[in-house]
Amino acid sequence: MSVDFLHPGEGAPIDTDVSALEMRGIGKRFPGVVALDNVDFTLEPGKIHALMGENGAGKSTLIKIMAGVYGKDAGTIRMRGREVDIKSPRDSLKEGIKVVFQEIALISEFTVAENIFLEGYPTGRTGSIDWKKIRADSAALFNRIGFNVDPAARTGSLPVSQQQMVEIARALAHEARVVVMDEPTSSLTPNEVSLLFTVIRRLAALGIAVVYVSHKLDEVFEIADTVTVLRDGRHISTRPIGEHTNDTLIQDMIGRRIDNLFPRQRGAAGSKVALSVENLSTAKKLIDVSFEARAGEVLGFFGLMGAGRTELAKAIVGYDPIASGTVTVDGQRLAPHDTRTGVRLGIGLLTEDRKSEGLMGELPVYQNASLASLGAFARLGFVDKAKEHQAVQDYVDRFRIKTPSLFQQIKNLSGGNQQKVLISRWLMRGLKVIVVDEPTRGIDVGAKSEIFALIDRLAGEGLAVVMMTSEMPELLGLADRIAVMCEGRLTALMPREEATQEKILNAAIG
Amino acid sequence: MSELTHASAQKRLIGGQLLGSSQLVLGGILAVLCIAISIAAPQFYSEANIIAILRQCALVLIVASGMTMLIITAEVDLSVGASLAFVGCIGMAVLNSTHSLALGMLAALAFAGGVGLFNGLVVTKLRVNSLIATIGTMMMLQGGVYLFTREAVQNHNQLASFTDLGAGYVGAVPVPVIIAALIFVVAYVTLRFTTLGRYLYAVGANERAVRLSGLRSERLKLLAFVVTGLAVGVAGMILSSLMNAGQPTAGRGFELTVIAAVILGGTSLLGGRGSLFGTLLGVLVLKVIDNGIIILGWNQDLQMVVPGIVIILATYLDIIRNKANVR
Repeated sequence: MSVDFLHPGEGAPIDTDVSALEMRGIGKRFPGVVALDNVDFTLEPGKIHALMGENGAGKSTLIKIMAGVYGKDAGTIRMRGREVDIKSPRDSLKEGIKVVFQEIALISEFTVAENIFLEGYPTGRTGSIDWKKIRADSAALFNRIGFNVDPAARTGSLPVSQQQMVEIARALAHEARVVVMDEPTSSLTPNEVSLLFTVIRRLAALGIAVVYVSHKLDEVFEIADTVTVLRDGRHISTRPIGEHTNDTLIQDMIGRRIDNLFPRQRGAAGSKVALSVENLSTAKKLIDVSFEARAGEVLGFFGLMGAGRTELAKAIVGYDPIASGTVTVDGQRLAPHDTRTGVRLGIGLLTEDRKSEGLMGELPVYQNASLASLGAFARLGFVDKAKEHQAVQDYVDRFRIKTPSLFQQIKNLSGGNQQKVLISRWLMRGLKVIVVDEPTRGIDVGAKSEIFALIDRLAGEGLAVVMMTSEMPELLGLADRIAVMCEGRLTALMPREEATQEKILNAAIG
Repeated sequence: MSELTHASAQKRLIGGQLLGSSQLVLGGILAVLCIAISIAAPQFYSEANIIAILRQCALVLIVASGMTMLIITAEVDLSVGASLAFVGCIGMAVLNSTHSLALGMLAALAFAGGVGLFNGLVVTKLRVNSLIATIGTMMMLQGGVYLFTREAVQNHNQLASFTDLGAGYVGAVPVPVIIAALIFVVAYVTLRFTTLGRYLYAVGANERAVRLSGLRSERLKLLAFVVTGLAVGVAGMILSSLMNAGQPTAGRGFELTVIAAVILGGTSLLGGRGSLFGTLLGVLVLKVIDNGIIILGWNQDLQMVVPGIVIILATYLDIIRNKANVR
């Protein structure tokens, strides 16, 4: 292992005329699907290049080809002008490409330093591992990216944000010329995001070509120099960020214009209180939370990571136990920690974690939709399937759920369509209050506006909608009133008209 | 138009559930086995032999019907073999002292149902993994039965109705086969057409989603454990009737045969997926193999070896078929 990373600026001079990485005519097909079709992708040293597109656009296939996880079926890859053949992750790393995946691939039982030098521990004269050197070199690497992580810490004990830094340090240890960050901010707090951005800019300043994979528009505008958009496995555009606006970028991603992400169709909220939460506390997080939600309104809850939104959502529907306080739906008190009475009284949760708490992935669409209302289609315990299928079909039509049939396994649907099925699950049951937790997480831009329209419609039909979100535009675009949480407490509650980003953020910081 | 596509999709599904997925592979294996064995030994197709096979299937199918429900909810019960032996001893002892088949049967059902309830409570309340919990129960029962009786509990009364339970016939059909058929049909209808059946699949597919939907997932699992236990109660009484005694050593390895049949039938150990029809095929395949080995005069130790190979092979074929479907 070379040591010249310890001396920035003393290595080979950066040749800015030659592309760091040039992918030409990349094709990749999986049985039945063309994942990439003749895609060009060129990276310049020292530049941050955003790679955008909806789910299934081909972003992850492209970076997995760079990483050597997939082989390409067509096209060429050149590193600094020289054609390379990447057959495995090992080849990729050897050629100087480091991909930091969303699911971080570090060994959690190892220390930070051990992880950094995983591919080749420096050894002393006797052939034994030189731990002192490993520690020192690790510290030097962190110094270079301007972020300190204890090299002796057990990796698994670190937050995701710091594990990312370990991955970046690994990239430097391998003298990577290309660093790919795959959706790096999906589980970071705003603070951590800005730290990460500082580090990414530093990588660029060292002459490294950075690929930033994301579908968050605001982040891309903040950090990227260039944006490449893929759609349906094809290259759509590569432009300097300055030539893009929100609208042009969305248009490139989804192939059509979205005039208004938040079309408001519903009228003003009623005055009838549908949900009343008083002095709610839980053992772990919530402290004395009180609020009311009215029929026909969207009450938006904002908060940073760990503010307690999901905990609140789960406590008020009776999924999680509460320590004290009361929840009242439509005038009737809820039994704590009992979803059964909750659903009977008409409160339900649209979970943020569709896969592990919402979907029955192996089961067909219609069974997923009718889960909460199956009793209504039954006679003496026997399911009237014709009636059930008709009811589900109605929702599939109404919400334009794209599925080949009611019998399709729901895991094969797109995130947006899965979400629509889960919303149908509740509407078929008939609710008075629906708690939606991060309703557009993992959902494409195009489908997002449809989910927003659906939420608007729910409120329009007289439901009280309690929406937990970490997305400011979503909050400001949809909510009638805005509640802000910080560390388990409710720190502000204001009408939409009085809300500003500053006010909300201030309350969120506490 | 939409009516039409709807109907045809439904038809496909029904066809799919009857003969789709792993059942097709399994049906093929069964057919090949039957043909191969009958070529080598024509007596395979004799009425006597077919009835013998069915009788062999009956015990396994009874318990496998309950086990299919249980595995669909993503739990499993390894104590059924040990429970089977214990139940036979208890049923026989009660029968001896009360001279009443009904009371003997009741005692057997109460005991086996109680074992199921115990397993269910340990799994749902104490949240012990069902594999571990039921291994514990299995050990308790295997040891416990010797605390209850050191040797076989002999049949002192020779009640004709009790003997008929295992050895009797209605027309040409053995009584155990009829009982198994009844239990199978009830379980099949439950899983396929009732809300309860749908909830069992749902719990196996995603327990949290079921709970969030206002359903009591734990009770559903508990029920599946008890049903499995009750099935063991029925099977235990039939077995002791067949052996004309309660044998504390009976039922060794029975749980493996039952679970093997269920898995072979395409029911996923991860829950949420499976069918009783597949289980029926699984039982038939295993028992036809057993029978073939006997009538071909092969070494009987192969009775364990061959099914082991078949399970791995069938599961592997299923994986290949699934992959082909996905693409």
